[in-house]
Parts: sequence; structure tokens; C-alpha cells
Amino acid sequence: MTHSLMRRALMGTAAILALPGSAMAAEDLNALVWCDHTDPALIQPFEEEHGIRVNLREYEGTATALALLEQSRPGDWDVLVIDGIDVPRAAEAGLMAELPADELPLADFWPGVAMEDQTQMGGKTYAVTEKFGYNTISFNAGKVDAADMQDLSTAWSEKYKDRIAVYDYYLPVMGLAAIAAGKQTADLTADDLPALKETLFTMKENARSVGEVVSSQTALATGEVDIVIGGGEWLTAVLAEEQPELTWTIPDQGAVRWSQSIGVLETSENKDLAIEFVKYIVSPEGQARLATSSCYWGMPANKAAGEHLTGAQKDVLRWDNQAEYLERAQLYPAPDAELDGQMQNVWLEMLQH
Amino acid sequence: MAGPDTIRGWGFVAPALLWTLAFFVVPFGVMAAMSLATLEGRELVWGFSFDNYARLFGQSYLLRAIMVSLEITLTVTVVSILLAYPLAWIIAYRVPERWQRLALLLAILPFWTSYVVRSYAWLLVLSREGVINQTLLAIGVISEPLTLASTRFATVTGFVHFFVMLLTLTIYANLVQLPPNYRRAAVDLGASSWQAFRHVILPLTLPGIMTGAFLTFVLCIGDYITPQILGGNNELTGPQIIMVQLGRGANFPLAAAMSIVLMGLVTLAYLGASRWLRIDRL
Amino acid sequence: MRRSIPWIYMALAYGFIFLPVITLVLFSFQDGRLPVPPFNGPTLEWYADVLGDERLMSALLNSLLVGAGSAAVSCALGFLAAYGLARHILPGSALLRGLLIAPMTVSYLIIGLGLLIVFNNYGPGPSLYAAAVGHVVINLPLAFAIIYASMGAQQENAERAARDLGASEWRVLALVTIPMLAPSILAAFFLCLTLSWDEFIIAFLMTRFDVTLPVEIWSLLRSGLSPRTNAIGSLVFLVSVALVIGLELFIFGRKRR
Repeated sequence: MTHSLMRRALMGTAAILALPGSAMAAEDLNALVWCDHTDPALIQPFEEEHGIRVNLREYEGTATALALLEQSRPGDWDVLVIDGIDVPRAAEAGLMAELPADELPLADFWPGVAMEDQTQMGGKTYAVTEKFGYNTISFNAGKVDAADMQDLSTAWSEKYKDRIAVYDYYLPVMGLAAIAAGKQTADLTADDLPALKETLFTMKENARSVGEVVSSQTALATGEVDIVIGGGEWLTAVLAEEQPELTWTIPDQGAVRWSQSIGVLETSENKDLAIEFVKYIVSPEGQARLATSSCYWGMPANKAAGEHLTGAQKDVLRWDNQAEYLERAQLYPAPDAELDGQMQNVWLEMLQH
Repeated sequence: MAGPDTIRGWGFVAPALLWTLAFFVVPFGVMAAMSLATLEGRELVWGFSFDNYARLFGQSYLLRAIMVSLEITLTVTVVSILLAYPLAWIIAYRVPERWQRLALLLAILPFWTSYVVRSYAWLLVLSREGVINQTLLAIGVISEPLTLASTRFATVTGFVHFFVMLLTLTIYANLVQLPPNYRRAAVDLGASSWQAFRHVILPLTLPGIMTGAFLTFVLCIGDYITPQILGGNNELTGPQIIMVQLGRGANFPLAAAMSIVLMGLVTLAYLGASRWLRIDRL
Repeated sequence: MRRSIPWIYMALAYGFIFLPVITLVLFSFQDGRLPVPPFNGPTLEWYADVLGDERLMSALLNSLLVGAGSAAVSCALGFLAAYGLARHILPGSALLRGLLIAPMTVSYLIIGLGLLIVFNNYGPGPSLYAAAVGHVVINLPLAFAIIYASMGAQQENAERAARDLGASEWRVLALVTIPMLAPSILAAFFLCLTLSWDEFIIAFLMTRFDVTLPVEIWSLLRSGLSPRTNAIGSLVFLVSVALVIGLELFIFGRKRR
């Protein structure tokens, strides 16, 4: 009995030792992405066309990604998906490679979505917007008065106590708090923090839970909560088919627009292939697949993707309202390192409230 | 039995020792050093500063996280012991011997589902439309669904679920080692069933209880998944704060400091329980 | 009535233990997007989905390899250390024992963090090996403790007898010690395998693209709750139930009789 045990253990160890060779081939592309890029429907067409493998790794927050990249060796990573608002940070740190702007269909993008201020530096393009959407109010139309949802403060007021979930990401939610107070997210300073804190505390007092995507989605779907602050099409679109009463809106005061960009890393040893990948993602077909990817939906940056989307899909995304929505939504707050730390502190205080 | 025998002895111990030194002691040392470093803006600065610790004990929400961790862990430990002991007793003394192993296996089997998926299953069981609420409503005990999910109750339940199993195993292992005559002797000498238990059996099973309790304490206080999934972020535990510091701010120094503090708590628990914790009795 | 109290308690206890698992398995057959009540007619589509999912299946294999590998290394090192300490007089043996047991008192998160910092800054970087290394760190103390505790006078006498009859140290080890300790070595192996199999945090921190099952499930869950994750959880559960019942009936059962 012990002999066979030993034999099995040795075989197992030998198998492990044989692993690294099999995993990576030189022609692979290594991408650090968000979960919507892991949909096979999005990746497989590219893999088949170029005969390579795309290795995907999801990450939590921009800070983690940047720390990861700074600790990696050259050639470890080729492609990065990053919050639009964080591209300057990555570009300044020298992490991003220049993209050939003339080969990108920027002219077809929705107005204001290309975000040249963030994605360009010194005339060079370092990233391109691939998807955008809104952090606003998601709600169950069957249980909540839709008119109430047009006013931010009512959405998290005592009227809906214990029926609210707050999305666990400090930037957009604090942005919403700022907008409700009539401030611009771009103009936030440390002086605004006390007032924001009060609003956050109010939200927390009336909320059932603060959760990330899965918890918020589950809570809304099971009826644990009826409103999600910071939700949007990205939260409810995947559920829309089975539960059409779950919907979203942009209140009168406005909402926060999230946007994600994709870029190539400077230390990549596969730059040409990586650039091809980026071009695929912003092409109309790639955009349509990305927009309706299994993890979360969002608006494709490239308007031409509309030709590859069905009418029903466009309805869920509120395609026809986009021009208006883009006007009324503001970008994420973009604090400097110090204010960022202070904002995170306020958020953690709110969680412990 | 000196010279060559001692050297051979060292030879046997060396691999395990080297492994522990290289992959435990060294990383631990690095982490301890990291906790004394600081973060300037986004740059890591090595040094010898107690800033992180000062912040931990000065900032209310961080201190609160430590308190929450302690409260939850102690609650879980006590409740798990109270629920597990009777079960261990029943399996050891009431279940016929040839079915005992099966009884134990049955208790362990559910934990061969994935930890993460199991935690989400608990979330669903405890939700407003979940099994528990539906049953309570059906039999008329309550008229409105109870708020069970995303609360401390849910976190404690999730933990107790796992640790009842663990403690049942350790207490059972202890119980079956006891010579059966002890109890009989006590009863023969005039003790009541309860006295026999309290003065004879219970003290003899203390090592099993304390071993299980200590393991529970260590695993519970360092666990990230259960509070994250079941607690609803309504209050944060130490490990959750550590993960937040890692994920959002890449604040390794603060995360390291918090980890060291948690380790300190565990060491205190070890010292408290060391009287009953004997490695050879494991 | 009083006689049946223990059985009622036992039933309730097992009910509690199995409650989430039953829900889990039940909703793995859910015909719908979310594994939440109400339950719609059973369907096997999620199992088909899971078995056809390449990433999941390779994550499953990775978990097995990392688990078996790290358990084997832990048991080997643990056995050698236990033998060294139990059969030889070494100076500072209490300290050595304490050091070997120490990792058991430290939370996985901390061990993972320390290893992450070292591997990223001074070492090879994340991989399945790194995860296996981390798992050996947490399992070695356990393997050592279990095997050490079972090294008693009985084995010592048998070993002495074998030595008296002329066997060399290695033959004694291979033919007497190991076979006699087989039950506890096996127990240690399975315990280490179990703990490594479901371990999340160290695996999460120490892997990059090739991940273990818990990490892959965690990734899957980022996209939202789905009966698919129920299916993979149930799959593992049902397979282990079958394995255990099989073992019980054919191997251990035989020994009993």
C-alpha cells in the first residue's frame, strides 16, 4: 500500500514539474483585464484568426494592477485594460506603449467618449476607450416608484430604508454623493469631504448591505434589496431577459460615467500582436461582443458596433438615449494621491459606521 | 548515542527545517520589515517607522476591525464548542462502533464542495426568500421574513457551520481515547451521571476541546471569504481590511502591520491555551 | 422520549451541516440564469457547461496536482522530521518542534502575503509551483504533528528488533517504520490534500494564469451568481461522495470484517 502511495506521489510531483513548459508559448498574449474580457465569445474569434492563445488574468483595482506590473519582469504582460480615469497615472509611470492613433476608428466613437485628455499625453496616444456606462441607480421597477428614482437623494432616503444596496466602489459612489450636492466631480477637494461623509453615512444607515458586483446583483435579483446605488446597465442588463422589472435610470441631477480603456504595455515583447488585439477590440464586431459580454454589459465606444447589435440589446443599453445621457453624466472623481487616500479613509469609515 | 547518531538525526530533520526557514521564517521576516516601512504617495520607503501601527490603533475604523474580528471569533469558538461536543459524544458513545467512521465521514463530506460556492449557498439559504425564512413563515412562527443575510449572524453561522465539523473531529478523537472504565468507575463510586461527566470526562477531554478551539481561533480570525460574502460589508473584519489595503491602495506596509497585529492576537490565544495544547497529544 | 433525544440532536446537527449543500446541489439543476428560488424544472445544461469549460477543467486538474504534490512533499518532509526528532536525541529539540509547528498558528493570509512579497521581489514570481510551496508551508506542520504523535513505543520496539536482527537503518525505515506508520501517514496525506484542495487565499495570491479550482470559481463568481458554479461545486461533492462510499465499501469495509 505504501509502495503505490509513493509511486503516485512521485508521478504527481513529476507531472507538476512538467507543467511550466506546457503553459506558455512565445506567441501567446498575456492580458491583465476586467472580467468582461474573459467571455470566450469575445476572445475565440481573435485566437482563431491569429492562431495564438490569449491568457487572461482578472484583477481587482487599478492600484493592484499597477503594483503587479511594477513587480513583473519584461515580457510578462502585453495588454492592459484600465479605468479610463487612471490612464494618465499609468502613462506617467512609463508603463504604456504608444498606440498608432491613425489606425484606430476614433472618428466613429460617441462624442466625448474618446477622452483625449486622459488617453493622450504629449500628442501620443497611450490607450483607447473601449467601453463605457454609468454608475447610477438600478432598481426594481415593480417594487419602487420610478419617479422617486429621478432624484438622487430620494433614492437613498429613509423612505427606502433597508431596501438599498450600495455598490462597493468609493470613486463612483462618492461621485454620486457630490453630484447630489450640486458639485462637479472634477472639482472635488479635501474641503468637500466632511459633507460627502455625511451623505455616505446617510446612505449606509438606509442600506442593507454594501457589496461588489455579485452581492449587489444577487441581492437585487432575489429581492433582498430593490435599489442599488452605483448600479447601472452593467449590473442589470444580464438579468434583463429573465427579470425585465430590473432596470436603471439617470436621475435629474446626473450620474457618473465609467469608462474603461485598453492599451499595450511598454515592456511587452509582442507589441505588434498586442496592437492587433487592441484594434480587434475597438472594431465594430469586437465592440459588439464586448458590449454584451457575459460578465457585464456596457456601451461600446465605437458607434459602428450598433450594426452588430440586435434591437433588443440596444433597448437594454438605452442606445437611443445615449446622446442625452452623455451630456448629463460626469466622469469619475480623479483625485491626486493624497486626496485619494483620504477618500478611501472616508469610505472605510462609512463601512464601519 | 552521541556523534554520528546526532548528525544523522539532524540529517532527517534538515529538509523540513530548511523548508520552514526558507518559506516561512524569511517571508515572515520580510513582512515584519514591510510593516515598518511607509508609503509615500505611491512609493514604498523601507525604514524603521511605527507609523502603520500608530495608525492602526489611532484610526477608529481600523481598531474597530480588530474588535470585530475578536468578537466574531470568540462567539464562533464558544458556539461551535457547545454544538460540537454533544455531537462528538453521541458519535463516540451512542453510535455503534462500526458506523462511527461513516458518521464522521458524513460530517466531513459537505465540506468537499467549494468553500466559496458553499458560502454563497448560505447567503441564499439565509435570504428573505430562502429556505429558512420560507419554513418559518410556513409554520407561522414569523409573519415577515427575517433579515438574516448580510449580517453578523450570517457570518457567524457560516463559520460555525465549518467549525462544528472541525471540533466534532477533535473532541471525538479525544473521547475515543478515554478508557471506558473511568466513567463506570466514577458512577460505581456513587457519582451521578452529570457529576461523572463534569469531574471526570470533561477535564479529560479538555485537550481535545482546547486543540479544536485553538485551531478554530486561528482559522477564524484570519479568514477573508466568509465575512466578505456573508457579512454584507456592514462591518469589516481584520482580513477584509487587509485585502482592501492590498487591492485598492496596494498599501503593503499597512496590510503587513495589520497582519502582525492579528498574529499577536493568535499568539496570546496560544499562550492562554498552551496548558492544554500538547503537540504529542494531537 | 428521553432515549431519542441524542438521535434528534444528531438529526438536527446533520441537517444543519447538509443544509447549504442540499441547496447548492438542488440549484445546480436550476433552469434559469440565477440559482435562486423559485426552482424551475431540473436541467443538466449547467453540468454540460461545466464539463465543457476548458478553464474550469484545467483548474480542477491543477488543484489535484497542487494538492497531491504539496501533500506528498508535506508528508515526506514531515515524516523525515518526525523520525529524526523521535528517534534521535537532538539538542534544542523542543525548539525545533515549536518551529516546525509555528506556521500552523499563522493565518493563511499572512503566509500568502509574506510569500507574495518574497516571490515577487526576490524570486521567480507567481505560478502553480508557488502555490504548492505555500501549501506545503501550511500543511507541513500538520503532517509532522500527526506522524510524530503516532510514533510510539510499539514502533520503537519493532525497529530495535529489526536492527538486532541485522537490518541497516534504511531497511528498517523502509520495511518496518513506514509500513507501521502507514495509517497515520495516509491520514496526514488525505488531510493535507483536503486542506490544499479548497484553499483559496494562498492560491489566489501565488498564481497568475494557471490557477486552482477555488481561484477559478472566485473568478467565475465575479461575473455574477450562476447555476454553473453550483454545478462545479456539486460535481466535486458528488464525486467525493462516490469515492468515499466506494472506499468504505471495498477497502475499509473489508478490513473491518
